[in-house]
Amino acid sequence: MYKFLEYGVYGASILLILIGLYAVLTKKSLIKIVIGLSIIDGGIHLLLITIGYLRQGTAPIFSPGFENAAAKMVDPVPQALVLTAIVIGFGVTAVALSLVIRLYRHHRTLQIDEIKSLKW
Amino acid sequence: MVGSPVLLIAVPLLAAFVIPLIGMIWKELVRIVPGLVLAYMLVLSVTLLVEVNQNGTIVETIAGWKAPWGINLVYSNLTGLLATIITTLGFLVWMFSYRFKRNVDFEPAKKYFIFLMMLVAGATGIVITGDIFNQFVFIEITGISAYALTAFYTGRNSAEAAFKYLMMGSLASSFLLIAIAIIYSQLGTLNMAEIASKMHTMDPVFKVIALIFFITGIGIEAEIFPLNGWAPDAYTEAPGPIGAAFAGVVVKAGIYAVIRMVFTLFDIPAAHDFLITIGLITLIVAESTALRQEKLKRMLAYSSIGQMGLVLVAFGIGTHAGVFAALFLMLNHAVIKPLLFFSGSYLVFNSKEKRISEVNGLGKFMPYTAGLFALGSFAIVGLPPFAGFWSKLSVLTAAADEGLLLVIALVLIVSVIEIVYYFRVVNRIFFQEYNKEESVVPHKPRFNAIIAMTVLAILILVIGFYPDAVTGMLHSASSDLLDKSGYIDNVLQVGQSLIR
Repeated sequence: MYKFLEYGVYGASILLILIGLYAVLTKKSLIKIVIGLSIIDGGIHLLLITIGYLRQGTAPIFSPGFENAAAKMVDPVPQALVLTAIVIGFGVTAVALSLVIRLYRHHRTLQIDEIKSLKW
Repeated sequence: MVGSPVLLIAVPLLAAFVIPLIGMIWKELVRIVPGLVLAYMLVLSVTLLVEVNQNGTIVETIAGWKAPWGINLVYSNLTGLLATIITTLGFLVWMFSYRFKRNVDFEPAKKYFIFLMMLVAGATGIVITGDIFNQFVFIEITGISAYALTAFYTGRNSAEAAFKYLMMGSLASSFLLIAIAIIYSQLGTLNMAEIASKMHTMDPVFKVIALIFFITGIGIEAEIFPLNGWAPDAYTEAPGPIGAAFAGVVVKAGIYAVIRMVFTLFDIPAAHDFLITIGLITLIVAESTALRQEKLKRMLAYSSIGQMGLVLVAFGIGTHAGVFAALFLMLNHAVIKPLLFFSGSYLVFNSKEKRISEVNGLGKFMPYTAGLFALGSFAIVGLPPFAGFWSKLSVLTAAADEGLLLVIALVLIVSVIEIVYYFRVVNRIFFQEYNKEESVVPHKPRFNAIIAMTVLAILILVIGFYPDAVTGMLHSASSDLLDKSGYIDNVLQVGQSLIR
């Protein structure tokens, strides 16, 4: 049962990545493309967290009563990575949305196929 | 010891945050302080490189965490050489853009220099870090500042180019993160040296998948063929000196990341053939596209992509001579292409469309700038007395040693194409009549821009006439790249000495 759930989480993260890719590649609205990029990020964060997951693990902190719990602790590194990645994803999304605002002000549209002063 | 490699990242990042504050004291400081910071970085990187040459690789641990666990910086002959190239270019870009356009007043200038600082900090970080996740963070820092700089002018095309760059760049960094997740799940470490030492235990299937994700992820910054769609637009729409910074700083860091993966982290022999193939495709497609370009900066951008293809081919040869040739090409490209971008951006300064057909007869009005553009063109196509000749020659000899006749033939054919499109521009500048209706109004370069261009021209001539001035450095850098076990020992030993 637990095994099944674990694979389920892996599957969900890959599904999220694929959904995001689908949005980025096929959607015409700039906002939806940015949302797609965020969904990909979310999927990867889930994937990283799942890698560090341990069934019935404890927090990776040595505290009274948990001195010998090293084998049961979840891996803290992926969690640190995900925290960093979330911050980076936030920055990229902010820059992307500010560019979308500028594109909208100039073109009065968010449809990507109507914005083609440059070759795509 | 003047300072540690960590200052190469910390000082410009600090400066980027401090610039808005000191701008409140005196507005001119916003332009001066970045120059001081970049000059300090230049001095520091050169002194550290000299020290590395005498005493061997410097490995710096951050916050006292020993090597496999904490983040460490590796300043070796190779990374030091690239860091020196990056800081030199950063300084020259600052000098060129000190007063690039008069209508760029305080607010935009502040943002420009903040992002320039972050760009240089990120690129230096990509080169000297010894941890793949840390490298990912620096790639993102470089990327975000590059998107912002691309969108610097508020004309409508620049935001479009920047959004295109951002879409590709952030998809690529997602792939990079997936590759890091795969490696961490298989090997349980993020330290490059430890990954390299454990790589043989990894399942070959996962290894290939991870390498593919890595190369797609970093290939964006390195302008590898199918992933370089952003480059021509970004180079065209970004301010002139930023085009030079892309060619000299961002792309160099991207190429470094690719070769570090292929040479040190992954021991897949077929990856070298892959580099040669993808490099040749990049080279041929980019150079033949450059031939058809009508805009000057687009042409330079495609030429830059082509040169990176040639660098990948040379790395793909994989011998000491091949790596040496590739590093020589990178050095020359970092010197020549910024000169072309600097002088080219003054040639089409007053033009809206920046077309090649508009430079007719400019040689009479701005002989110095036009002469420097011609010098750069001669150097990049590889005419004998200039810098580009020696690097192309070493690529050809390296390929000949390995019997790669197809590579030699294609490189020579592509050189002919290069000569055609560069000399077409030079011909227009000097031998066509100036036509008031079609040509652009000449613009006299500013004093600081002339100094920056002259420094690059002198470097081209020095490397051209005394190639021995740099070959020693390049030889030690190429043996450093090929010495995989040396890299692992250097990094992991620091960890052991801290345990005791």
